[in-house]
Amino acid sequence: MDKNFDASRRKFILGSSAVAFAVLATGAVTVLRNDPAKSRETIEPETLRSIKVDAWVSIDSNNVVTIHFPSTEMGQGIMTSQPMIFAEELDADWSKVIARQIDQGPLETFGNPHTGGILFTAGSSSIEGYFTKLRMAGANVRRILLYTAATVMGVPVTDLVTEKSEVIHPRSGQRLTYAAIANAGSMVTNVPAITEADLKPREEWRIIGRDQNRLDIPAKTLGETVYSIDVRVADMVYATQALAPVEGETPLQIEDGEARRIKGIIDILPLKNSVAVVATTFEAAIEARNKLQITWSQTSPFRGVNSQQELADTELAAKDLNLTATAWENRGNAVAALHADAENVVYATYTTEHVYHAQMEPLCAVANVDEDEKGAEVWLGTQSQTLSIGAAAQALQTTPDRIRFHAMQMGGAFGRRTFFARDLLVDAIHISRAVKRPVKLMWTREDDVKNGWLRPATAHHLSATLDKEGRVKAMRHRVASPSIFEFAAPQRWANAKGRDLLVMEGTESSEYDIPDFLAEHVLLKRQSRVSAWRGIGWGINCYARECFIDELALKAGQNPLDFRRRLLQNSPRSLKLLDEVTQMSDFGNAPNGRAHGLAFAGYKSTLGAGVAEVSRDPNTGKVKVHKFWAAVDPGIVIHPHNYIAQTEGGIIFGLSGLMRERVSFVNGEIEQQNFYDYEVMRIGDVPQIKVNIVESGEAPSGAGEIGVPMTGGAVANAFRALTGEHLRHMPFG
Amino acid sequence: MLTLNVNGQVVTIEASSDVSLLWVLREHLGLTGTKYGCGAGMCGACTVHIDGVANFACQIMAADAANTTITTIEGLSEDGTHPLQLAWIEEQTPQCGYCQSGQIMRAAALIADNPKPTREEIIDGMSANICRCGSYPRIVRAIERAVKEDHHG
Ligand code: FES
Ligand code: FES
Repeated sequence: MDKNFDASRRKFILGSSAVAFAVLATGAVTVLRNDPAKSRETIEPETLRSIKVDAWVSIDSNNVVTIHFPSTEMGQGIMTSQPMIFAEELDADWSKVIARQIDQGPLETFGNPHTGGILFTAGSSSIEGYFTKLRMAGANVRRILLYTAATVMGVPVTDLVTEKSEVIHPRSGQRLTYAAIANAGSMVTNVPAITEADLKPREEWRIIGRDQNRLDIPAKTLGETVYSIDVRVADMVYATQALAPVEGETPLQIEDGEARRIKGIIDILPLKNSVAVVATTFEAAIEARNKLQITWSQTSPFRGVNSQQELADTELAAKDLNLTATAWENRGNAVAALHADAENVVYATYTTEHVYHAQMEPLCAVANVDEDEKGAEVWLGTQSQTLSIGAAAQALQTTPDRIRFHAMQMGGAFGRRTFFARDLLVDAIHISRAVKRPVKLMWTREDDVKNGWLRPATAHHLSATLDKEGRVKAMRHRVASPSIFEFAAPQRWANAKGRDLLVMEGTESSEYDIPDFLAEHVLLKRQSRVSAWRGIGWGINCYARECFIDELALKAGQNPLDFRRRLLQNSPRSLKLLDEVTQMSDFGNAPNGRAHGLAFAGYKSTLGAGVAEVSRDPNTGKVKVHKFWAAVDPGIVIHPHNYIAQTEGGIIFGLSGLMRERVSFVNGEIEQQNFYDYEVMRIGDVPQIKVNIVESGEAPSGAGEIGVPMTGGAVANAFRALTGEHLRHMPFG
Repeated sequence: MLTLNVNGQVVTIEASSDVSLLWVLREHLGLTGTKYGCGAGMCGACTVHIDGVANFACQIMAADAANTTITTIEGLSEDGTHPLQLAWIEEQTPQCGYCQSGQIMRAAALIADNPKPTREEIIDGMSANICRCGSYPRIVRAIERAVKEDHHG
């Protein structure tokens, strides 16, 4: 019953008589076919790379179409939605489509133009970044099939149509499956280049915009999906780490006599910021780890940091207008306008605490370093194949082509698996090199919490003035926060001119008609490891702003809905969303003892509006959310029911974060350990949620984040409407 | 030496007496459908059936599970057609999927015990299991669907 992991299943397999189409970034197409003399041939990814192409798609003799997708699956459904886009233009039979993860480049073909051209799945960029690229590639392959079919049938190509992986000559009734065409002999590849004008008009879409079943789901009901933590390779050993209690400390002295006596221990290795224990079983490694006595260095600058102090300092920094700040968005002259009307300025400060991702699968990496120590095979659940391969290559001082990479499905990510490979994977590689065996390096939940990369504490100081009609004349949104970008991507930060998109995006308020507007960042020194968290800057920036907009409405003596309508007068898409969500929720008519709160909050080019219905929990005195309605406009929706599922998930993630999630640290050590002291939302606290899509037909944007930004403002505004109390500090619970 | 009855098969493994059932299932037997989420009885990712009752595999010593009948997600049905597995597909419940073996195993024990649970009983019964992706509304719907379809035969 031992299901040893079959590494070969991830190879690029061409069945008999199969053909693969490599569509280059230039649009040129290379057709790869297996040797018909052999009944079954496997083309290794290395072979494909060596001829500098990789294939988007292959078609086997049973007319099964295998589409390779570039983004990594972490629950967002990209394994289905990206192939849907390709299959649409290919005119594939969706019921016979298989999706396969791309493990590595070439980046010219597979890189995401919206993430700097690398393979990087983050910030809800996978659909917006690949939409056109996938359509063009699919159309290219279809054109080759059409031209080849025309030659085979001896008819003009203009007389042919395609449907469900077949080319049809309607006049004669002749049909050829794509597989039969692939079998026909040589493919016609000198076809006219596809342009955007050749793409299918929307009315002809049969796959995009329909509720296809997700391709990853059946395996997930059977326990068959293999995450990196599930990888098992022959001869594999287990490693665990005693990690430095405070960032940056190193082990000075290790008493491991007792630990080494435990049965199954292979080695105990000092690494830069940890001590690794390697054993034949995971339980032996853990037992030995518990017996280690380690003296750590005491020199880390983080020894002196405390989260409560950081929070207090952050708030002061946001409020202190004398501190220098980097402008992020500047329209008109908000500073002058506020100064001119100084005695009427309305202001408020909002703060948010550190939070942790709590992805369900604790971090894990599997590595097998080659005998020459200049290459490795790696299995990792990662948001970026490119960055992970780069980290592995650097660890071995080798070139990326020596890393044989397997991008695994992830048990959640939410921003945690972006830049992490430089720690976890690098350590796994060092361990495998030392013990000369494949190693599975696993973190326990406690390791995961205590070494979390946190969304940092932030403070938002907002100020504004209103004119006589109660219109917002000027507004300033000042964010105090450490830079996430600086920690996550130091090389890129060097050229970013102090502009941190991971912190500041979402402060622009660009849909709002405010003549003088400034968003600015007071850059603080980080006190913990930091990273983006689902919703990124938008999550908390929209919370602060939407609470403040309600405070301004109150000041102006207007209801929050009309007040926002006026602010959004130049954005018809936004007004539609307000209409939709007020209608869905019957806004303002909450039952007795409850109240409604409204937030208008987008994510990049996705627009959204949410309404929360809340009460005060009689037992805790805290806010309780009963219902949540959301209207979202992401432009073209590729996969509607998955879009809704993602938005629901985002709303729950946002609500979870604002209720009880909080990481604290004292003297540089995170105090929380596990789900008993880091509480994420459970099923009993989930409100009734209704999500409606209001599609504008604009270019498609993302699904993963949009649920989060609307939650904070809607809940806080509802609670204020009910009780008069402001929830200006997150978490609220 | 430890003898266990897992998914209808009797298996003998070499493991120390104080190892949890979770690591025996996952790493000794390769039944990786049962997941590790917390090791502390807090998340339910490791939920299996012991003599038909939902339990946290991470909280039970493998030795204490000798002489019981253990069922994991791999053994819940012959061919993946347990009414809950089908309903999970119908409702398109999983997102990352990591919690879902545990969710399905918990739900299976729940409906075996109480074939017609009310919504409140479902929520109560499922509260031991975390889903960080937020698939909760679809978990409830899938259980309700499975219960209903089962009754209509
Ligand atoms: S792993 Fe057993 S309850 Fe979380
Ligand atoms: S589906 Fe991801 S944790 Fe439940």
